[in-house]
Amino acid sequence: MASIIRATSRRDVLKIAGVGGAGALVGARSGRAATKNLSFMHESSFIQTYDDFFKKTLVPEYAKATGITVDYQLISVGSLQTRMATAAETGNGPDMTLAFFNWPFLFDEKLADVSDIADEIGKKNGGWYDSAKEAVIVNGKWKAIPFGNVGQIMNWRSDWFEEAGIKEFPDTWDAFLEAGTKLKKAGHPFGLELGHGFGDNHGWLYPLLWSFGGREVEPDGKTIVIDSDETARAVDYCRKLFHDAILEDCLGWTDVNNNKAWMSEQISCTNNAESILWFAKKQFPDIAEVTQQSLNPQGPKGRFHILAPWSHAIYNFSPNQKESKDFLVWLMDPKQVERWYAAADSYYAPYLHAYDDAPLWHVEKRNLPYRDSLKTSHLPGWPAPVSRQSSESVAKYVVVDMFAKACTGRSTKEVIAEAKAQLQQIYKQA
Amino acid sequence: MASAHTQALPRPTLRRRPAFSLRRWTEREGVFSWLMVIPPALFLMALVGYPFVYGIWLSLLDRPVAKPGVFIGLDNFITALHDPVFWRVAQNTFVYTFAATALKMAGGLALALVMNQEFRFKNLIRAVMLLPFIVPTVLSTIAWMWILDPSFSVINWFLVHWGITKPGPSWLGNPGWAMFSLIMVNTWRGLPFYAITLLAGLQTISPELYEAATIDGASTFARFRYVTVPLLKPVIFIVTMFSVIFTFSDFQLVYVLTRGGPANATHLFATYAFDVAMSGGQFGLGASIALSMLPPLALLIAGMAWYMRSEKT
Repeated sequence: MASIIRATSRRDVLKIAGVGGAGALVGARSGRAATKNLSFMHESSFIQTYDDFFKKTLVPEYAKATGITVDYQLISVGSLQTRMATAAETGNGPDMTLAFFNWPFLFDEKLADVSDIADEIGKKNGGWYDSAKEAVIVNGKWKAIPFGNVGQIMNWRSDWFEEAGIKEFPDTWDAFLEAGTKLKKAGHPFGLELGHGFGDNHGWLYPLLWSFGGREVEPDGKTIVIDSDETARAVDYCRKLFHDAILEDCLGWTDVNNNKAWMSEQISCTNNAESILWFAKKQFPDIAEVTQQSLNPQGPKGRFHILAPWSHAIYNFSPNQKESKDFLVWLMDPKQVERWYAAADSYYAPYLHAYDDAPLWHVEKRNLPYRDSLKTSHLPGWPAPVSRQSSESVAKYVVVDMFAKACTGRSTKEVIAEAKAQLQQIYKQA
Repeated sequence: MASAHTQALPRPTLRRRPAFSLRRWTEREGVFSWLMVIPPALFLMALVGYPFVYGIWLSLLDRPVAKPGVFIGLDNFITALHDPVFWRVAQNTFVYTFAATALKMAGGLALALVMNQEFRFKNLIRAVMLLPFIVPTVLSTIAWMWILDPSFSVINWFLVHWGITKPGPSWLGNPGWAMFSLIMVNTWRGLPFYAITLLAGLQTISPELYEAATIDGASTFARFRYVTVPLLKPVIFIVTMFSVIFTFSDFQLVYVLTRGGPANATHLFATYAFDVAMSGGQFGLGASIALSMLPPLALLIAGMAWYMRSEKT
């Protein structure tokens, strides 16, 4: 039986068993090992050309080179985590999967150690960015191969900024507030999400907290330090920014809203990934023309961005781990991966230094800040290492809601005390 | 099963007492009733019973996703009770359930009374009325997303156009309005269920009772109060029970519209449990939050059942 499973993927064995029973199994046995399949689970990309390139170019190329067909299983946006959890829980699913954010940590016990190929891939491509390591190395082992960063920076309307007399994008949060105040008065408020989405809220609120010097916990991953003067200043700032510069609806936004508001010209600045410009170029060329992108403003303690890694992991229950590793090595070879990156312009900022000045960055100069943001990007919960507690804090929107509550008019002291109580409960120190 | 089949075949060589007949055996009441009950019972056990028991078991574990669990007794529940958001969620769920159920009850009854009258295109209108119930919730909720969207809201367009407010309220951005909006959408979706069920109840009331009441000089209101309401009560009870359960454990609406925002103002038990279990990867804690729905719901249902019984006697 084992040899049959090797000969085809487990999915095929199931199919065969379901359809024809023993007779079909005999047929499978006589088949050649060259008909092997690998399954690769991915979430549909906002950049359609990226998925198309994989399906139409990379899959046939790999089949031609090795005889192995890669089954690229696309699932709908927003459901990857549930699907990954189902596979991990049941020990049944694809051989390889895409993983976001800190998921290599959440699922580490079900993911194969890929340290060996990570080294190999790094060497071939000029070395890994440090931020990539922050996202996938769990207890000293690489649990996924970092692919690219879907960074979040500030997207702004150059025409309206100019009308308000602002030529350059504000470099500090104070200047940002000043600009926002002018623009809101002119009928072009900022649209920064303060609701329960999964990306566009964290994308600017964690950096805001960090750049004022606020932290949830110390690097030891235990000591809760949210209740600080630095946090208080960040909260005060956010309340004022909300009141003077931001659209009220942002409190109830999820991740779709800022894109809608952008394309309907309701807002003059938002925090989003590169997809907003990509989409505008396809559908709303007039808006694309006046869309600019800049790094997040800096605060008294520096400039920060959110790390939003995409990585590829191999399930340790897969019977095809060796083949999956071979595939990932092939995929991450410059000959392949450079073209795949380029298929999405620079939406997935490579974590490999060999691409620091690659042609993909020169297709659209306005995307360069996404590359530069990598150096100052961290996962939520930073500077503490990723842990189940930090993941729970993100899922419960502790930091986002601390700011959001302040924006609804609650006192700084109160909202910080509530965030602290939540963290104490999460870190079991209540 | 195979042996039953072979036995069922008549065997001409044996001629002692009447051969065992599968048909006769299954027609015995004791056997037949079990045969009818077992499939649905197995079905329920597999699809409802097992997840439920597994949920209870999970809630007693410290069980991160994809990792083995450790038994910790009631710790998860204690943790949840110390969580400030948990209490906010509990409050939200009660407000949401009571407000939406009351509105659905009032609106549904009114709608049923109207539909019970004779008028032209009655059947067509009855069918149209069911639409909100038929359209998949996720789809209709996306339509509501546009209706409540600040930039494209048709409601706000009218409000501004008629000079009532400027600008219109932020339906999903303001914590109070967000809850209000969700209650409205839930009411819109649940109303047809109430209306159609109550209408069925109304049609079982014999017209003679109304005639008798009219002859006795009862006004329209008196007929409603003393004939319709008492006879409709059992139906009202059933439909309210269903509605309370579904509203209490609502998920889709909130998840599509606000995902619990702004600042947890619309988080319900189901959405909070999902966030903690799936996004946070804490299956045990998530299960305990979801299970916390059970005692208040059970109390509510028991209370209603008790009330109905005391009414009867």
